[in-house]
Amino acid sequence: MKSYWGIFKMEFKGELQYRAKALSGIATQLFWGLLQIYLYTAFLNSGSVDGFSISQMVSYIWLGQAFFALRYVTMPKRVGKEIVNGNVCYKFVRPINIYNQWYVEGIGQKFAATLLRFLPIIVIGFLLPGNLSLSLPVSVGAFFLFLFGLILGLLMSHAFAMLAVYLTFKTLSEKGSIGIVSAIVNMFGGLFIPLPLLPQALQDVLKYLPFSFITDLPLRIYIGNVGIVDGLVLMAIGVVWLIAIIAIGKLLIGGALKKTVVQGG
Amino acid sequence: MASIIKFENICKNFKVPQKAEGRFKMIKNFFCRKHRIIEALKDVSFSIQEGEIVGYIGPNGAGKSTTIKIMSGILTPTSGTCVIDGLVPWQNRKTFVKNIGVVFGQRSQLWWDVPVIDSFELLKDIYKIPDDKYKETLQLLNSALNIEDLLGRPLRQLSLGQKMKCELAASLLHRPKILFLDEPTIGLDAITKLAVRDFIKYINKEWGTTIILTTHDMNDIEALTNKIILIGKGRILYQGSFEKIKEKYSDEKTIEVEFAKDYNKVSLAGYKVIEHNLRFATLKTLPNTKFHTTDFINQISKKYEVVDFQVSSLSVDEILAKLYKEYEL
Repeated sequence: MKSYWGIFKMEFKGELQYRAKALSGIATQLFWGLLQIYLYTAFLNSGSVDGFSISQMVSYIWLGQAFFALRYVTMPKRVGKEIVNGNVCYKFVRPINIYNQWYVEGIGQKFAATLLRFLPIIVIGFLLPGNLSLSLPVSVGAFFLFLFGLILGLLMSHAFAMLAVYLTFKTLSEKGSIGIVSAIVNMFGGLFIPLPLLPQALQDVLKYLPFSFITDLPLRIYIGNVGIVDGLVLMAIGVVWLIAIIAIGKLLIGGALKKTVVQGG
Repeated sequence: MASIIKFENICKNFKVPQKAEGRFKMIKNFFCRKHRIIEALKDVSFSIQEGEIVGYIGPNGAGKSTTIKIMSGILTPTSGTCVIDGLVPWQNRKTFVKNIGVVFGQRSQLWWDVPVIDSFELLKDIYKIPDDKYKETLQLLNSALNIEDLLGRPLRQLSLGQKMKCELAASLLHRPKILFLDEPTIGLDAITKLAVRDFIKYINKEWGTTIILTTHDMNDIEALTNKIILIGKGRILYQGSFEKIKEKYSDEKTIEVEFAKDYNKVSLAGYKVIEHNLRFATLKTLPNTKFHTTDFINQISKKYEVVDFQVSSLSVDEILAKLYKEYEL
């Protein structure tokens, strides 16, 4: 366990060094958040969606932007490169499970990236006037469940990223692999379009699929779109999904590692 | 002494897709690929005793790195058995790698954007090294490799030689029984090279670490190893002491002669003239000539007026080049 904690700390520290990256991330997220708010306000004003008011939508978007680094499925840094250039061989000569090592690395990076970015966006979100303002959570219970949901989301988002790592082993193309996985996950996880805006029939299916646990569920709990009891039930389903996706990832990557050929010097 | 590494009849084949030439063949190839089997290692057997420093040499593409990778558990051989320190590397990977250290000269095992010492601390956690032992080892590595000042700096700010010293230290923090060095001196300047060599010798002597190194720098081999294994085209061609090989070629001498006056033609029985330019000539012993200085002086001074001459044996590089040629590598 100590070694995983060490890896986590290492990646956390490494990520903290990239402050300019975080700043530009914050700027992008603010701009993008405003854009989305204006766009969806226009939509909602010309019709209505059950149980999703404009102020809820605004909060949903601000929180989504604040935790963008957490919800956006990305490859753990370096892993793709390591696989393509063969540095991955050093992973083999450590007395530690390779999947776990990568998993923890990615979590550390994402955690640090999120920590560097979320606060300014939340603060600005609260300070914005009237229709653009982020609201408080519906209840204290909802707030804590929201926090717990974010942790589940972080673990889930990275479990998906590990599937992209597997694909990279197969295709040797980091960009292509993460492209496929993130397109699916981000679409059905509410990153492009908030899930409450999708047709009800689709929503009914999506809420049981693993993608929505990444951030859609915690955000909905925060704004009161999903009640606490429902939230708890769904989260239990989420935990089962998480275990399943990690297990699948471990199986696939374990198989790929056996066949790995590290070429050259 | 017991043998710590046993390699028996190891073969390793790689399956690689075959490239086809021509437009239509390329299209055909896209749908149905033909594969070609490359035999990287053919029936390789050797054993290494505990505490030895073994040089593993051979021309590019001979299978050196493949062997190192099999020994360190990264690759699984196609057939054959390999037992290292009582374990099969690719079967009990996690237990096995606790006792080995690896440096791939062209890759890095340290974290890029954090100070080197942080990487060391992490390796300490990964290998579960007790605090006191870690401190002791680190101090020893610091003084032997002179890296104390580098440890606080991020890896990306270090030069190649500084990096290599840190890599070496990183691979030794857990005091492995066996150390694999894949081209450890590649790209290093003279001083660093010497420091690294001294250090390797020191570790071997102090800790009794068994060391296997591949290199193209024959001076490494000469300075470090008790034994060499020569591999070419996937086969073991020679194993034994390097001295023996050197002896075999020690009769071959090159003599540079300076004459007192200009000669238009130079010839000497038992020698071949490689170069001749009036006052200067370079001679080489013919295969059957046994070089003896007194005889040579007598012989040459009868014919020519000699001011000075200089005898040199084959350099290690030349010996190796000859060896490769002999085995048609």
